[in-house]
Amino acid sequence: MKHKFQYFSVGLITAWLCLFGLLSFLVMLTISFLQHDLDRIAVWHFTLQNYIDLFDPIFFKIFLKSFYIAFLVTAGCLLLGYPFAYIVSRLPEKVQNLALLLLLLPFWTSSVVRTYAMMSLLKTKGLLNAALLSMGLIHEPLQILFTNTAVSIGLIYNLLPFMILPIYVNLERFDVSLIEAAKDLGAKYTTIFRKVIIPLSMPGILGGCTLVFLPAMTLFFISDLLGGAKALLLGNLIEDQFLMANNWPRGAATSVLLTVLMAIGLLLYWSKTNKRVDYEAVT
Amino acid sequence: MKKWVYIAFSLLCTLARANDNVVNVYAWSQEVSPKVVRQFQKDTGIRVNFSTFDSNEVLYAKMKASRQTQYDVVEPSSYYIMRMARENMIEKLDLGKLSNYKNLNPAFTHPDYDPTGEYSIPWVLGLAGIVVNRKYYPNDNLEKWTDLWSPKYRNSLLLLDDPREVFNVGLLTLGYSPNDNNVQHLKKAYENLVALLPNVRLYNSSSVPSLLIDEDVTIGMGWNADAYKAHLQNPNIEFIYPKDKFVIWVDCFVVPKNAPHRENAYKFLNYVLQAKIAALQVKETFYPTANLAAIDYLPPEIANSKIIFPSVEQLKQGYFQTDLNDDALESISRYWQLLKLQ
Repeated sequence: MKHKFQYFSVGLITAWLCLFGLLSFLVMLTISFLQHDLDRIAVWHFTLQNYIDLFDPIFFKIFLKSFYIAFLVTAGCLLLGYPFAYIVSRLPEKVQNLALLLLLLPFWTSSVVRTYAMMSLLKTKGLLNAALLSMGLIHEPLQILFTNTAVSIGLIYNLLPFMILPIYVNLERFDVSLIEAAKDLGAKYTTIFRKVIIPLSMPGILGGCTLVFLPAMTLFFISDLLGGAKALLLGNLIEDQFLMANNWPRGAATSVLLTVLMAIGLLLYWSKTNKRVDYEAVT
Repeated sequence: MKKWVYIAFSLLCTLARANDNVVNVYAWSQEVSPKVVRQFQKDTGIRVNFSTFDSNEVLYAKMKASRQTQYDVVEPSSYYIMRMARENMIEKLDLGKLSNYKNLNPAFTHPDYDPTGEYSIPWVLGLAGIVVNRKYYPNDNLEKWTDLWSPKYRNSLLLLDDPREVFNVGLLTLGYSPNDNNVQHLKKAYENLVALLPNVRLYNSSSVPSLLIDEDVTIGMGWNADAYKAHLQNPNIEFIYPKDKFVIWVDCFVVPKNAPHRENAYKFLNYVLQAKIAALQVKETFYPTANLAAIDYLPPEIANSKIIFPSVEQLKQGYFQTDLNDDALESISRYWQLLKLQ
């Protein structure tokens, strides 16, 4: 009975992923090698042109800029998320669950709605400016909305849980006796942190970074709403090619490239985590 | 058992018959007031299946995607009407069947995008001009698009998030036609817009009124209906018809080829051509109308608004937006991406 249920649930998920993940990816992959046509989506004619187009300096610049913003956001999430995950993992279990619940609570609202809320916080006559003005800390309202700062704030806010959760899962299983052992051997706090805690939580850090880095390049509505549609991210580029330029083959090629990048990231992550296991086996 | 099948079948048939008296309308979001739809249903007994889109591209793609259209009335923008007529996607209308056609302003019945006026019924229109909050710029001399290039507006302009609208400004300020297909001219327009970039604070076209009302942006370009909405709540906001010309867009009702309920489509068109209905639409959305007779049904503050209705001389400064060829569109799209990258 138990086996049957297992087969059923695994089968269901596999079918789901094949249908909506694999199949749609294969469709994109196929379209990315077809020729663009204005009247139809694409014509049956094999071409590499869509990928060659991506070597255009404009696209290269968009890639670079997206990487730059995604890098800043990942670093920001890591700086904020790591201490948070560490503190939560050291709390009593009941409080831990409450903290995690509070962390995930905002996800019950659509992130587009939350981004609009973020706009009303940051705008010229928004809550932040009103508060700072009434406290006398500033005399002119800060112009944060429609800058790269606003985009980064929005992205960090939206993606922080994706950094915290993998690190938390990792730190939660962390063996505290290792810290005690290090202390007994006379290590200072900074040394313990650098030489024991960080290396052992590396899989969590890498997992979190992968989960943050890629969405940071593709959440186009955040750069549209908070950045005044000025900063073009990879997500905007893909959206633009599908909807505005009506060029499905090139849009498909761009998203395939992004998938390949993500695959490379995941491979790196796997090789790192496997190495870690080997290392522990040796010592 | 057989009896039940029979009953179910006949029930289905009556349902299908009841569904027959419908008209399927596909229009820009927020451009057909729900009140207009409700009144039409009440007065004619024809049910409206109403759905909306957010860009001409989406409408065009949907009409291309299926060979047999399910729509009876669609509402593309002026320049897409040209393309659809050229590609034989829409029908030539029998204007004699539309008794209320005479209500239209003759200035809009033979536009550049539909020279014989036989394909399209103009519904709402608008134009982009300069918007400014006079609290922040009380004495600035703002008459022309070129005034926006002044270095004192550094990092403060709002531009519409719409490639064609922004390139219209780039072309007009160089003295070119906004419907110019010449790729060299588009390149010059792009360089001209690059010079404007240090002044650009944001691109937006979907929430312009609230941005203006809350003074998140105090100067830039905007559509006149949006400027009017903002002006109602923040009287400091002024709309200026640029002296170096501007572009008028007109969103029109057209009937696709092989529309399944053509008779009802004509009834719908004739209904919305009534002066009262066009006036109701203006009162709800503040978009200018091409329906001249409707002005009499409008409250004076709307009918006399300089923002919504340009004067006859001002209207002469306007270009109708027409379709561009694929090369021109491709280069606008490329330059647009370049602009956003700087």
